[in-house]
Amino acid sequence: MHQDCPCTRRSFLAQSATGLFSVALASLLERDAEASETRWSPPDGRPHFTPKAKSVIWLFMNGGMSHLESFDPKPMLNRYAGRSITDTPYAYVMNPELLNRNNRVVVVNDANGQQRSLCYPLQVGFRKHGQSGIEVSDWFPHVAGCIDDIAVVRSLWTSDNNHGAQTQFHSGRHMLDGNYPTVGAWINYGLASLNDNLPQYISMGVRPYWNERDGHYLGPAHDAIPLRVDPARPVDFIRPETDTRADEQAIGFDLVGRLNRESANRFPDDPALRARIRSYELAFRMQRSLPEVLDVSGESQETRRLYGLDNATTAPFGQQLLVSRRLVERGVRFIQIQHGGGGAGAWDAHGGLRANHSRNCAMVDKPTAGLLIDLKRRGLLDDTIVVFGTEFGRTPGAQGGDGRDHHIYGFSVWLAGGGIKGGVVHGTTDELGFHAVEHRHYVTDIHATLMHQLGLDSHRLVIPGRQRLAIDHGSPIREIIS
Amino acid sequence: MIARSTILLLLVPTLSQAQSVDYLRDVKPILAASCYTCHGAIKQKGDLRLDTVAFMKTGGDNGSVLKDGLILKHILGEKGYRRMPPKEDGEALKPAQAAVIKLWIEQGATGPKDEKPEPDPRDHWAFRAPVRPAVPKASGQRKLAGESPHNPIDAFLAAEHEKYGLIPQGPVEPSLWMRRVYLDLIGLPPTREEMQEFLKDCASAKPQAAYAKVVDRLLASPQYGERWGRHWMDIWRYSDWWGLGAELRNSQRHIWHWRDWIVESLNKDKGYDQMLREMLAADELYPTDADALRGTGFLARHYFLFNRTTWLDETIEHTSKAFLGITMNCCKCHDHKYDAFTQGDYYRLRAIFEPYQIRNDMVPGETNIDKNGIPRVYDANLDVPTYRHVRGNEAQPDKSKAMQPGLPSLLLPNGLQIKPIKLPMEAYNPALRAFVVENYVRAAEKQLKDGQDELAKARSRLALAEKNQKQTPPVDKSKRLLHDDFASLKKARWQPFGGDWKIENGKLVQQKTGAVRGALRLRDDVPTDFEARVKFATLGGDTYKSVGISFDVDQDHEAMVYLTPHPPARIQVSFKKDGKHVYPQDGAQQHAVPLNQTHEVILRVRGKLLNVSVNGKPPLVYRLPIARRPGKLELITYDASARFEEFVLLTLPTDVAMLNVGKQDGPVSEKLARALVRVAEAKIAHAEATMVALRARAAADRAIADNATEVGAWRRAAAQAEKKQALALAEWTLARAEAGQAEMKLNSAQAKAAVDAARKALAIPGDVYTPLVGSIKTRENNLEADANRMKPFPKESTGRRAALALWVADRDNPLTARVAVNHIWARHFGQPLVATVFDFGRKGAAPTHPELLDWLAVELMDGPPSPPTPLPGGEGRKWSMKHIHRLIVLSNAYRMTTSSLGASEKNLKIDPENRSYWRMNTTRMESQVVRDSLLHLAGDLDLTRGGPPVETPMQDASKRRSLYFFHSAIERNKFLMTFDEADPLDCYRRRESIIPQHALALSNSKLASGAAEKVAIRLEKLPPNDFAREAFTWLLGYAPTANELEACDRAMARWRELNKMRPDAERRARSQLIQAILNHNDFITIR
Repeated sequence: MHQDCPCTRRSFLAQSATGLFSVALASLLERDAEASETRWSPPDGRPHFTPKAKSVIWLFMNGGMSHLESFDPKPMLNRYAGRSITDTPYAYVMNPELLNRNNRVVVVNDANGQQRSLCYPLQVGFRKHGQSGIEVSDWFPHVAGCIDDIAVVRSLWTSDNNHGAQTQFHSGRHMLDGNYPTVGAWINYGLASLNDNLPQYISMGVRPYWNERDGHYLGPAHDAIPLRVDPARPVDFIRPETDTRADEQAIGFDLVGRLNRESANRFPDDPALRARIRSYELAFRMQRSLPEVLDVSGESQETRRLYGLDNATTAPFGQQLLVSRRLVERGVRFIQIQHGGGGAGAWDAHGGLRANHSRNCAMVDKPTAGLLIDLKRRGLLDDTIVVFGTEFGRTPGAQGGDGRDHHIYGFSVWLAGGGIKGGVVHGTTDELGFHAVEHRHYVTDIHATLMHQLGLDSHRLVIPGRQRLAIDHGSPIREIIS
Repeated sequence: MIARSTILLLLVPTLSQAQSVDYLRDVKPILAASCYTCHGAIKQKGDLRLDTVAFMKTGGDNGSVLKDGLILKHILGEKGYRRMPPKEDGEALKPAQAAVIKLWIEQGATGPKDEKPEPDPRDHWAFRAPVRPAVPKASGQRKLAGESPHNPIDAFLAAEHEKYGLIPQGPVEPSLWMRRVYLDLIGLPPTREEMQEFLKDCASAKPQAAYAKVVDRLLASPQYGERWGRHWMDIWRYSDWWGLGAELRNSQRHIWHWRDWIVESLNKDKGYDQMLREMLAADELYPTDADALRGTGFLARHYFLFNRTTWLDETIEHTSKAFLGITMNCCKCHDHKYDAFTQGDYYRLRAIFEPYQIRNDMVPGETNIDKNGIPRVYDANLDVPTYRHVRGNEAQPDKSKAMQPGLPSLLLPNGLQIKPIKLPMEAYNPALRAFVVENYVRAAEKQLKDGQDELAKARSRLALAEKNQKQTPPVDKSKRLLHDDFASLKKARWQPFGGDWKIENGKLVQQKTGAVRGALRLRDDVPTDFEARVKFATLGGDTYKSVGISFDVDQDHEAMVYLTPHPPARIQVSFKKDGKHVYPQDGAQQHAVPLNQTHEVILRVRGKLLNVSVNGKPPLVYRLPIARRPGKLELITYDASARFEEFVLLTLPTDVAMLNVGKQDGPVSEKLARALVRVAEAKIAHAEATMVALRARAAADRAIADNATEVGAWRRAAAQAEKKQALALAEWTLARAEAGQAEMKLNSAQAKAAVDAARKALAIPGDVYTPLVGSIKTRENNLEADANRMKPFPKESTGRRAALALWVADRDNPLTARVAVNHIWARHFGQPLVATVFDFGRKGAAPTHPELLDWLAVELMDGPPSPPTPLPGGEGRKWSMKHIHRLIVLSNAYRMTTSSLGASEKNLKIDPENRSYWRMNTTRMESQVVRDSLLHLAGDLDLTRGGPPVETPMQDASKRRSLYFFHSAIERNKFLMTFDEADPLDCYRRRESIIPQHALALSNSKLASGAAEKVAIRLEKLPPNDFAREAFTWLLGYAPTANELEACDRAMARWRELNKMRPDAERRARSQLIQAILNHNDFITIR
């Protein structure tokens, strides 16, 4: 929808800068000098500075998980249950200026995302866990057991009050801005693969509401490859749709490789031909490797139980997480897992929140904890970051008596591993869990934190003609980095 | 470190005289950013320029701006001085910036002596109209065999080659040229016959004629319009609609009319200028030309339900980029940083589009505009004001002043002449078009005919019912295909899956319970329409205890019918959609399922219609909402143990009556038969009343439009006829209610009351009638009430878009033709002459070959200086795109090899990237070309043209060209997506990625394997040795080397060896070889 001026950063700065910025400008130009004298070239795949992590497992709860029933307890909601927010000492949270601060409406008069005024009490109890004593809801007993490895960020905000916020959480851009590359695509763009046999950017689960692509202007090479946990059909076109056999195909792959190399005599110095030969070989290796990665039958009974594969409720998510660990082990960079399809996402509890969230939590809690434990005991948690996020939280006020509406002003996300501090809480919302008040973070601060741990400076990944805004880059949350 | 002092200076508000301000470094950039747009080269408001110190000293209307710090007083907006820049043009300077200027004045306001004024932005090359440059005479221009000697394209390029000492590569072999030009002009590879014919012609005495013959044929072929139509669809952002369920949110439901308009216009070689006029303003310029109106789909496509500003932003951005190569989007929030476009210009342009909305005009033959109609634009809100959005924020419109429609003065200094346009009657009252009344009448006639048929049927049914009151249902004439009493499990017939199947007491029992499916799959295929009878007893289970029949079972597909005692006990239809089972509510019927009792389920399936009868009860009637697909039949259990006693499979001849959804077709009781006769009679009466009413309404519409004297009488007649029609409808409804027809929600008492009410209404005279509808307005936004959409269309149009269109397509517009030829050039040569194809402004790239670009632009606009004889396809006229194509593809430049083999050292050293076209560029097939080529080579391509898009579920089976596939930002074809499908949001150039998914799709998809098999069959008459050579030559356009042939032979031998025990070893080896060649880089690459 929106394509910025095709300007390189250097010329943009040179022409738009005023004397005001001359120092900063001079240093920027200096840093850019090398790149801009020669022609622009894509990243070389090496980190920009020493990384502390190699891979990311990105868990995303579709539909909007309540921060109030998960990682941000607000006893005041119990105290003032049923009272109008404006009748509590915290009436100021409804101040229109605060409400309009970061709300950008897509649909005028939307039935969703309204302010709900009657305080809705917490639907679950909270208990302190671990040495850190962080409070976690009773719907996450297993994750609570790992809380000392986790940094909970309780002060996220976003601006799209409808589920376009799902895309926004991944790309940092509001739905009305158009489609932009997602965090996984940027990482995939910036870093080279660690495994020649597997795609380095994989997604699992469903994207019920948001755009199915990741790369956008970075190109389809940076889209996540959607993976099913079914070893027989893990990705589109991975197996012949006809009765061609593997041994027949091997001869064909072999022949194509030979013919392409022969063709280099006819068309020398053709970089596209070289790239084609390489991508062809990767395809062949992927076709052989992927089914093996997805086959978890060799995992021990104990491991399978750890991920909840022995239970129908936890098995689907557990299977995806176990596969994720196997992918991370083999060097896959970024694994994006969406939990909960249907409508705008399974967590979208406008009504019946208690039943909805207790069910969803039961599906993800054990496998998620299992993943953290398994990564840790294998030493993989040191360089793997696990992110547990959602597009927005849910209103402190009740919707329809037993639900909560979309809430963009404050919500929680947690991270673990890959050089992230464990057992810390960062940022706060006010007493009602309404506004993020301390250490407010826009969603791209999570992206920046990941990039930082992976050794990437997103500012150096800008490509010509596609200007990025400061908010697109975000800033690393230094306080949670160990 | 000088710079550091500057920043300190800015941070410390009290400035020290000791710090010196440098004009060029510190002051000029501030003035340039904030002041030059109004006081610089392009504008001199108040007769003042600020772009040199000298100008500042001279000053404007109020004298020197440096005297007494006048400039500073304006900058600070001191009392009595208007703040500069004015609020509507830009933001105030920051205090630190003002401080710098203050200090500079205090230090004497000096600048360099030789300071030059800003160049006039109007002098930027792209804003000056192109003049046809003289064609250079290059002495060293080589002559190719049979070439056309005077192609100016070659002359321009040769001059450059000579200048730099580059030596152009030789021509490509004819077969590769043939493949190149076919894929380029029609998006399909040549057939073997076409290839052979061309090679024969080439060998003749007049090779140049052979080349020209091919080009003329391709440009005249309808596939040319489809191929190049797709290119322009990329640039013009073609998108089918998307929304949520039935709610339209983006683009328009029948936007494909615009696609057909594009394809047809190109095939007709309609002038590019004319296409632009039609796209932007056909409704004002050609208001009654339904064909031309389709062109406005360009504007209709930008529709966005939720946000008018988003909608118009996209309209402005892409109209500017696609037609003019300017980035007006940059000045939505602030003045343009590089071109002299102001934020005001942005909103003046918006004002041109502000009044437009979209409506769908009825087309002949279809009264339901939801099913078909032409989406076109019209000016709906003639007086709606346009306000500038402060900092581009739509929540902050500056209502102090309405923006007037206009264009940037940079481009049109004398302003746009806008005259309101009076529309002809048929344009603002589309119901007056003759075919609209005809459409409605024909629909009523159809209802009448249906009613008559129904009546005849009902009467014969009544006669039958009277004759055989007690007769049992008609004799079963269907043929029995299979019968099984399940005394044993016949493994040759049945294949068990899951479950635990045993024979107990002489009957087949499945005894496994729990959440698992047991299935007994019939090995034989079942006819599409069939009847299955199964007798079984449900014995037990934990929860669901479901037992039934599933059919069309295939991967990810099945439809089933089962009985479950799990509350509510019922018969349930279920089917798989998107990999999930769906349990439709209207596919359920309550039915007790006592355990251990035999039930007989009779399932009749005809097309999508199901009748399921249990124990002889009236059947459950259901119509599957998914397509039927061939698959197996299974008897199934889910969490149920069950005893199967008998299974019968029968054909289902057409004379076996089935109940349809909402209709009763089978034999019925005498009472019902009579009621159905009454229904048919009432339907006929209603159809007749409808026709009378239609004519009366049409007459009243016409009388009003003609300002007839007796309008009142016409109105009354129409109102009366309409009431009669309403009464007939109420009576028909009552008849249906009394016949107990399924879809009737109301009972006969209510229906009777409605009849009485209609009768009363008829007795009251009146003149309010419903005018006929010939067009329906698309909702302006999600809040618009239907009443607003029903308002009559305005009789006048603002003329704003007409003025815009005439200017865009004007011979004097400096941008339009250049932008167009650049797009055309880029798609022939794989690289554009101006790299930033949508930005010809000062920030865009300079043209690599400015003279060539201008020559081509003028050639497009004016045609050849003296057109010889009219060329095939009508070329030689002005603005002919076919003429430009022809010039390009018949040039020597286009005929060069893409290979750098044997290129001079100098070429490789000074121009490795081939910016000077010393060789041809390779390109990669676009997504559509990949798929279309595979189908075409296989001989499968369906060349049907135009019409509604092929919906996603039908695409796998469809053999139509890919441009007809449904294509939106939300929904695009999986195979095409793999190969850089056009992004409907923004696609000025297609990407050419190289990713492993290409290999997977070309190796594993049914599409590619199927094509390989068919290509092999087309070559099956060739002996093995010739097979590989011919396949190679046909598919890749060049003959294999000995090495390549040897590799192919070796692979063939290995395949044959692998399959030597199989009768189809040779066929498989050949298919495999073809598939390997389809995976060759030089297949997907256009060499």
